Amino acid sequence: MIEIRNLHAGIEGTPILKGINLTINTGEVHAIMGPNGSGKSTLSKIIAGHPQYEVTEGEIIYEVNFKKINLVDLSAEERAREGIFLAFQYPVEIPGVNTAVFLRAAFNEICKHQGVPEMDPIDFDEYIRSKMKTLDMDEKYISRAVNVDFSGGEKKRNEIMQMAVLNPRFAVLDETDSGLDIDSMRIVADGVNKLRSKNNAMLVITHYQRLLNYIVPDFVHILQDGKIVKSAGKELALAVEEKGYDWIKEGK
Amino acid sequence: MLTISTKEKEKTSPLITAVQKYTVELTKSSAASWSSQLRQKSLNNFLTLGVPTIKNEDWKYTNLSALSSINFKPIAQGKFSFQADVKRLIKADEITLVFVNGLLEENLSNLGAMPKGLSLLSLKKALAERQTEIENLLKKYEGVFEPAFISLNRALASDGAFIHIADKTHVEKVIHIIHVTQTAEPALTTPATYIFLGKSAEATVLETHVGYADSVYLAAPLTEVSLGQNAVLHYCKAQSESLKAYHVGNTRVWQERDSHFDGFALMNGGDITRNDLDIISNGEGTSSTMNGFYGVNGKQFVDNHSSMDHRQPNCTSNQLYKGILNGSSNASFNGKIFVRQIAQKTNSYQLNKNLVLGADCKVNTKPQLEIFADDVKCTHGATIGQMNEEEIFYLQSRCISKKTAIKLLAHGFVGDIITKIHNPSIQDKLNILLEPTFAALE
Repeated sequence: MIEIRNLHAGIEGTPILKGINLTINTGEVHAIMGPNGSGKSTLSKIIAGHPQYEVTEGEIIYEVNFKKINLVDLSAEERAREGIFLAFQYPVEIPGVNTAVFLRAAFNEICKHQGVPEMDPIDFDEYIRSKMKTLDMDEKYISRAVNVDFSGGEKKRNEIMQMAVLNPRFAVLDETDSGLDIDSMRIVADGVNKLRSKNNAMLVITHYQRLLNYIVPDFVHILQDGKIVKSAGKELALAVEEKGYDWIKEGK
Repeated sequence: MLTISTKEKEKTSPLITAVQKYTVELTKSSAASWSSQLRQKSLNNFLTLGVPTIKNEDWKYTNLSALSSINFKPIAQGKFSFQADVKRLIKADEITLVFVNGLLEENLSNLGAMPKGLSLLSLKKALAERQTEIENLLKKYEGVFEPAFISLNRALASDGAFIHIADKTHVEKVIHIIHVTQTAEPALTTPATYIFLGKSAEATVLETHVGYADSVYLAAPLTEVSLGQNAVLHYCKAQSESLKAYHVGNTRVWQERDSHFDGFALMNGGDITRNDLDIISNGEGTSSTMNGFYGVNGKQFVDNHSSMDHRQPNCTSNQLYKGILNGSSNASFNGKIFVRQIAQKTNSYQLNKNLVLGADCKVNTKPQLEIFADDVKCTHGATIGQMNEEEIFYLQSRCISKKTAIKLLAHGFVGDIITKIHNPSIQDKLNILLEPTFAALE
C-alpha cells in the first residue's frame, strides 16, 4: 500500500531523516520505535504533509485505486482525502470549533473527493454516534469544541474517534500511548484494534513496548539517527525494552 | 501661546460651531426648563474640553482630526433604502424600537403588549416626565470627569429611549433598540438610551447601530445604565455603522449592591470607532462582565476603552475582548481596572486577544491595573498573534483545505466569545451583523 523510498527530509535546513526505506502492505500493522530525536515524529509529520518539513530526496509511493502516487507531491489535505490519517502526538485544541461540525466538514471533503453525495447533519449525527458507540465514547466528544478542556487521554481517544469516522486506508499513530495511564491506553488500543482490518494498514510510532502488547504489530522497526537500523517481528520490541537501543548501533 | 491658538482653531472648527448652534436651537423655546439647562451645561463642558486630540493620553491612538473639517448638519429625515437588511434583525416576539435618523419608525417598531413593570418612553417624553430619575442618576456622577462626547450627546440628544424596569420585575422579552442612519450629506446623530433597573429587576437589552453603506456621519451615542440592588442586566451594544461613519460612543454603568451587569460590545462598522464603557461598582457583591469582539478590515480603525471602578469590597469583574484585523486596519484596546483601598476581596480578570490576518495591521493594547487594596485577585493579559500554523495543519490533516481551515478557525475565534452571550436571539443577530467580517476572510 505504501512504499517509502530513500526518504531524506528535514526542517529549516537541518536534516533529520537520512534515507528511510519502508514498505507496508495492506492489512499490516508496523511499529516504529527509537530513541528521542531519532526522527519518529518527523516521519509521521512528513507522511501527513506538514508544510514546515522539507523532503530533500526520495519518494513516498502510495497505491490507491490501482494507481501509484507520490504523496510528496500532494498537500496535507489532498493526502488526507486519499485516505492518509495522522493521529497526533499532541492533538491541537481548537476553541470555538465544534467537533461534530468540524468532522462533518472533514467527512464531506472525502465524499466530494470520491464523487459521492455529501452527508447532511442529521445523517452524519447518526453516523458519528454509531462510531462513538463502537468506541464506547460519550456525548461530550461531539458537543464540545475540538479537544478544548480535554484531558490527555480524552484527546487521544478523540483522535481515534476521528479515525473511525474518516475511515482511513493508512493511519499513522504518533505516540498515541505516551502519557496515558494503563486504563486510558487500553481504551485507545481497543479502539485501534476495532478499526484494524484487511483493507487498511497502520504505522504505530511509540516509545514503549507496553502498547505493542495491546496493538500487536506484524513488524517492528528501529529508527536511529534518521535511518531504520533494524527490522524484525514483535519480539524486537521486547528486546529493545529490555536492552535499550545501544546494542543495535553496535551491531551486536 | 500655542495651546491657546490650537484651542481657538478647535473652537472655530465646523464641528464645534455646529454643536454650539444646534444646542442653542434646541434650547431656544424653553431656556428655563431643566432639560434646556442640562443642554447648556453640557455644551459648556464640551466647549471647554473641545474635541480630544492625540496629545491627550486617553486619545493617543484615536485620531479625530478628520472630523474638524467636515460640515456636519443635524441628522434629518431622508430616504431609508435598506429596510430589508434591518428587518432581518427584527423578531416578532421581541420589543423593538427602530429609530431612523433619530426618529421613531413606528412601522418597524413593535411595542405591543408591554410586560407589566416595564416603562418604555421616548427620550423627549422622559426628559419632560422622568426628570427626577435622570437627575438623581446624574447627581451620583458629581465629581466624576465627564468626557467631551458624553457632553456633546447630552447637549444635542433629542431622541432615544428611556427604559425603566420596576422592582422585582423580570422582563423576559429582549428589548431591542435599533438606530438606523442614512444620510446624503454629512450629519451628526446623538441617540441616547437610559436604562433603569429597580431592585431585583432583570432585563435583556440590545442596542444596535447600523448605517447605510456610503453615508458619512458622526454618531455620538450615549447609554446610561443604572442598576438597583440585586438587579441583573444583560446588555449588548452592536455597532455596524456605515464604513464611512465615525462612531464615538459612551456607555456608563452605575451598579448598586449585588447587581450584575452582563455586557457585550460588537464593533465591526465605521471608519473610525471609539467605544467607551465605564462601570462604577458602588456596592458590595456586584459582578460585571465586559466582553466584546471587534472585526476590522480595509483601513478601519477601532478603539475600545473600558474602565472598571471597584469602589466596594467582594466584587468581581471579568473582561474578554477579542479582535480580528484584516487588510491594513488598526485597533486599540485600553482596559483600566481601579481597585480602591476599601475594595478588598476584589476578583478581577481581564484579557485582550487579537488575531492579525492582514499584513499591514497594527494593534495597540494596554491592560491597566491600579490597585490600592491589598487582598485582591487581579489578572490581566493581552495577546497579538497570527493564525496558529499547528491548528491549520491539524485541520488540513483532516481533509480541510488551508483556506477553509483559516475560515473555520476565524469563525471559531469569534464563535468562542459570541456563544458566551446569554441570549441566543442576540447571538443570532450578531452573527447577521458579522457577515461582512466573515466575508472579508474569503
